[in-house]
Amino acid sequence: MIKRVRLASVSLLAVLIIAGTALAQTDPGVQSGNRGTGAALSSVMSDSPSGILAFFTDGQTRFQEVESVSGGANNGLGPRFNENQCSSCHAQPAIGGTGAAVNPQFGIAGSSAAPKDATPYFLSANGPTVEARFPFFFNPNGTPNTNAPNGGVEDLFTVSGRSDAGSCSLPQPSFTLAGQGNNIIFRIPTPTFGAGLIENLDDSTLLNNQAANLRNNFGIGGTFNHNGNDGTISRFGWKAQNKSLHIFSGEAYNVEMGISNLLFTQDRPLPGEDQQQTGLPSNCLNLSGNGYPEDVSNPGASGAAVLDDVSAFSNFMRLLAPPPAGTVVLNGQQVSQQTISQGASLFSSIGCATCHNSSPGKTQPSNVTSSLSSQPVPAYSDIEIHHMGSGLADNVSQGGAGGDQFRTAPLWGLGQRIFLLHDGRTTNLNNAIEAHQSRGSEATNVEENFDSLSTQQQQAILDFLRSL
Amino acid sequence: MRWGVFFFLVLLMICAPIPLASQTSQSGGDFAPSDAVIPPGSAIPKGVILVKGAWASASDSVTPVPEGGGVNGNTFRNQYFGMTYALPKGWIEKYQGPPPSDTGRYVLAQLRPAEKLNGSLAGTMLITAQDMFFTPLPASNALQLVTYNKDNLQADYKLELATTQTKIGGRPFVFYAYWSPVAELHWYVLATEIRCHAVEIVLTSRDTKLLESLVLDMNQMGLPAEASPTGGRGGGTVPVCMANYANGPNVISRVEPVFSDRTFNPVPVRIIVDKTGKVKHIHFLSAFPNQTKAISAALTKWRFKPYIQNGQPTEVETGIMFGNAPRHMSTRADAGSVD
Repeated sequence: MIKRVRLASVSLLAVLIIAGTALAQTDPGVQSGNRGTGAALSSVMSDSPSGILAFFTDGQTRFQEVESVSGGANNGLGPRFNENQCSSCHAQPAIGGTGAAVNPQFGIAGSSAAPKDATPYFLSANGPTVEARFPFFFNPNGTPNTNAPNGGVEDLFTVSGRSDAGSCSLPQPSFTLAGQGNNIIFRIPTPTFGAGLIENLDDSTLLNNQAANLRNNFGIGGTFNHNGNDGTISRFGWKAQNKSLHIFSGEAYNVEMGISNLLFTQDRPLPGEDQQQTGLPSNCLNLSGNGYPEDVSNPGASGAAVLDDVSAFSNFMRLLAPPPAGTVVLNGQQVSQQTISQGASLFSSIGCATCHNSSPGKTQPSNVTSSLSSQPVPAYSDIEIHHMGSGLADNVSQGGAGGDQFRTAPLWGLGQRIFLLHDGRTTNLNNAIEAHQSRGSEATNVEENFDSLSTQQQQAILDFLRSL
Repeated sequence: MRWGVFFFLVLLMICAPIPLASQTSQSGGDFAPSDAVIPPGSAIPKGVILVKGAWASASDSVTPVPEGGGVNGNTFRNQYFGMTYALPKGWIEKYQGPPPSDTGRYVLAQLRPAEKLNGSLAGTMLITAQDMFFTPLPASNALQLVTYNKDNLQADYKLELATTQTKIGGRPFVFYAYWSPVAELHWYVLATEIRCHAVEIVLTSRDTKLLESLVLDMNQMGLPAEASPTGGRGGGTVPVCMANYANGPNVISRVEPVFSDRTFNPVPVRIIVDKTGKVKHIHFLSAFPNQTKAISAALTKWRFKPYIQNGQPTEVETGIMFGNAPRHMSTRADAGSVD
């Protein structure tokens, strides 16, 4: 009798567990099929105008070059850096994308690339590829000085002890103490597929789209970040702080890899070294021995090779096609197109598309290639910056964006992204959606609409998102 | 002996820990002493926005501002709009809304049941305000704004109820409803105008009976006498509000602000002009501190013709858009006019 009761209890428990599992919506996860992401725009593939395909392939090749400090064909790395190759960070699901499943930064410290460095505590073999920033400078005793905003990138590694770096010896920033003081935030690489389309949206298109968005009944406002020089709308980076792909490339080459270039002409000290101290020590300057900038154009070359690296990188990103949508597999079964369409409609109905616009408008005529001319931009972004609340705030100000404001992350290509949100804090879409609501967030009401849906409807939205 | 002293000094110099300039510079900035410990309470608190961008502020802390209200206990109160509302039983404001936008949008309260029902949220109630001086939409009052939105519903929605006049708390409101067949969600929108703001109450649920009961519950809402979809121009105990009062011959003396930094963001500002024509109160919907400072310094030098209503000088509230971004405030001649 007792045995029978026990068996019944076990069966009931099993049913409950199974039922519980079936009730919850599930992120289908990263879609592994080859969707053709990473190809060039169709007009570029047709080499129209003549020679542009060579620009694309040249940029794509340089994007994968490993940089050294001195010697060899590719030098100028450091004295501080986060990686030594663009494609190390921009790798998933193809060259030009975001961080990969295996973090290439994890093995750098202690290797010949950074022999004297220690691995920062937050890196892990299968965690997100990141850059780190300290929202505030340290006081001399190591506590965060909230009266002294920092926010700049604190490079993870130094060239200290490398065989190609002479006598340069630099300490790494105090990551561990920053972590103890909750004075550190992270950013993952933004994917660049389709970036040329975003670059070619005229301000008037974005402003008209903003006005149309204001019809919403979800309490969403939104504004733009602006370029400090000419006042026009800036659009790249997690806070839309960069105006163009050229600026984006030049800054990344300088900040992430330590390579000075035609746009950022000096080696970059850490923010505190530059703003509060005396810059880099002399034995860490001009380590390549070639003078500055380390990346310049090549007058003696011909064709695409005449370009400097930054121009080549920006050509590559500008000419990358948008990431194609694809099928979705959930628990071994392909999700029906009907469900994907339902998810798209739900996504729009509950208000997600107020910010994550399926297209904010068409591009202006392009003087680069026809695939960038008068095209819709299915980025699922309005390119505006929005208050995302205390839960996502990183207390870093960039241009006109405050510590809680972020650009609406373009969702095209989401189906094959591993790490989500600006700092890669989650790999689960459910968590990413949940994080949209917090005190001060513009997205709280929309997230609550998501919570009002049935499990089947929520599942359809997740399926749709992984189709992008 | 002298050689001995010399060698001793040299030895001291070699062995003693020398405070090299480079070591000294490693404290502060990006570096902390290797043995540093964060004392309790010195870490940055989690979930606090310390670095703000353009944000709302005011020239004094006494004059009510639109974003100044909120939910306290189980009651929503907003002194600026003269609104009070006791929340339905079991409803809360879990998260406060964002700061005002530079397009003049406020989230005054966002309410929801404290508990989910079978894992699902039964509904939400959003109370918002749109400053009619700064809306980029083609509307001069709450009725026009609501009508415009109703006429331009996104393709996912179907209209359930065309705009109709109703009363909430004894005050006139405009009401319309729409729904999403795919989401099976219904939106009931109630709107009126107070102090030249379109105040909207947006109720959302799958359950239309719940929505109907919430609308009935709204009748206990306290509202000012001016509230009306085509009125709402202040007056009584608050200033009258008037668009474009800071233009043309109303301004006797005007000084432009000098900005120390160019950030190109729109800076919508509401001011209250006192009975003598001086700026009595400045409310920045969205501004950086340097903009607040420069605009405040300029506005204190502005002089207006006193506004005369019924033969008496009267306080008047108006809007001015500063900043360099390519956006314009409402320029309709009748926008917010009291006449």
